[in-house]
Amino acid sequence: MRVVLVPSTLALLPDYTSIEDPIADLRASVDAAVAWLLADGPAAVRGATPAAKRIGDELLGDYRGSGPGLLVVANGTATRTEKAPGHFDERAEGFDALVGAALRTGDFGPLADLDLDLAGELWAPDASALVALAGLVTTSAETDYDAAPYGVQYWVTRYTCAS
Amino acid sequence: MTLKLGRQSFADDATLMMAIVNRTPDSFYDKGATWAEDKAFDRVVRVVDEGAEIVDIGGIKAAPGVFIDADEEKARVVGFVARVRDAFPDLVISVDTWRASVGRAVCEVGADVLNDAWGGADPALVDVAAEFDAAIICTHTGGATPRTRPFRVEYDDVVAAAITDTTAYAARALAAGVARDSIVIDPAHDFGKNTFHSLELTRRLHEMVATGWPVLVSLSNKDFVGESLDLPVGERLTGTLAATAISALAGARIYRVHEVVETRQVVDMVNTIAGRRPPQRAIRGLA
Repeated sequence: MRVVLVPSTLALLPDYTSIEDPIADLRASVDAAVAWLLADGPAAVRGATPAAKRIGDELLGDYRGSGPGLLVVANGTATRTEKAPGHFDERAEGFDALVGAALRTGDFGPLADLDLDLAGELWAPDASALVALAGLVTTSAETDYDAAPYGVQYWVTRYTCAS
Repeated sequence: MTLKLGRQSFADDATLMMAIVNRTPDSFYDKGATWAEDKAFDRVVRVVDEGAEIVDIGGIKAAPGVFIDADEEKARVVGFVARVRDAFPDLVISVDTWRASVGRAVCEVGADVLNDAWGGADPALVDVAAEFDAAIICTHTGGATPRTRPFRVEYDDVVAAAITDTTAYAARALAAGVARDSIVIDPAHDFGKNTFHSLELTRRLHEMVATGWPVLVSLSNKDFVGESLDLPVGERLTGTLAATAISALAGARIYRVHEVVETRQVVDMVNTIAGRRPPQRAIRGLA
């Protein structure tokens, strides 16, 4: 099965369209990854917040179903810089590095022990959706986007999984 | 409605800045600052750089003054239009004239729009627009003679009069063969009107927009702004922009202006508030 992770930024929603897209690079990666996901059939949405689920539903459109694919909607911390929504927290970079390494390699084991209390303090409300990745065994992992352009850590990653 | 202004077409939600370029020694606002041809050309370069989609070139000031015959008017504008056309092949060039003979001469060298600020004083102007596939601005002057000031003019309903006259002019242009999407109406603030009339036209501009014809407003630094605030020429920008905002909310399409940058910001901001234009780049609270 195919699994894709995209961030839960509201800027992905058509309700919030600008003339100049402030997340043009991210959106391009998201759209390409979702297209890859749906090339294998319909997909389910997994998100830890109503907004995340709404974004997932919007991205999948008519291809939302119960599988075989899985679209996980979550991002890292929102406390990476002084200008970040949650202001700067020096613990954020380490948290994102830990999550980012797991996402990049597809070795999700470390995500099982993610500190959700810390995640809350670092403004990462979707972290429980990342924890749920830990049950998956990946056979390939691709990272299409890994940056924190507004002090919020976004990843776009693609996986094929054995189960 | 899509707007076709000579060589350019604009989507029905586009707002356009028409920058005033005077080839006159005596216009009220700039007082001859661009009378020298090179100065006028410099202004064209500047307003294009500032984002104006249209330049409106005029050779005769609107107010009474020294008589300028058609030959002198042509001497002021025709060669200049040709020069601007040569330098800016895609720019929409409008010429502010009421004379068909001048209209013909400027269309021959590349003008796109005939801005008839005097409301059809020369009935042959529409035929020139039709012949050259140019656009025409149909203004309301209440029948005023070109270059006269209003004196004790009254209307039963100035907005109704403006709608009746401009739409009749538009129908006449259409009948003469001007393309439907190349006809614009303009209530012509201060032309044949006192300040109360111009204020009422601004307040009720949505009624002109509701005719379906694209509406141009020419508000820039005019006396109705000056009298409303008791401010001389040179101190009317804020008042002009307030009137611009009201006109933008009502749905005006073209803004004939001295100050391009400020007007563009106001029009964009109002249309963004109105939900007709997205923000330029919004990420606050969304990231």
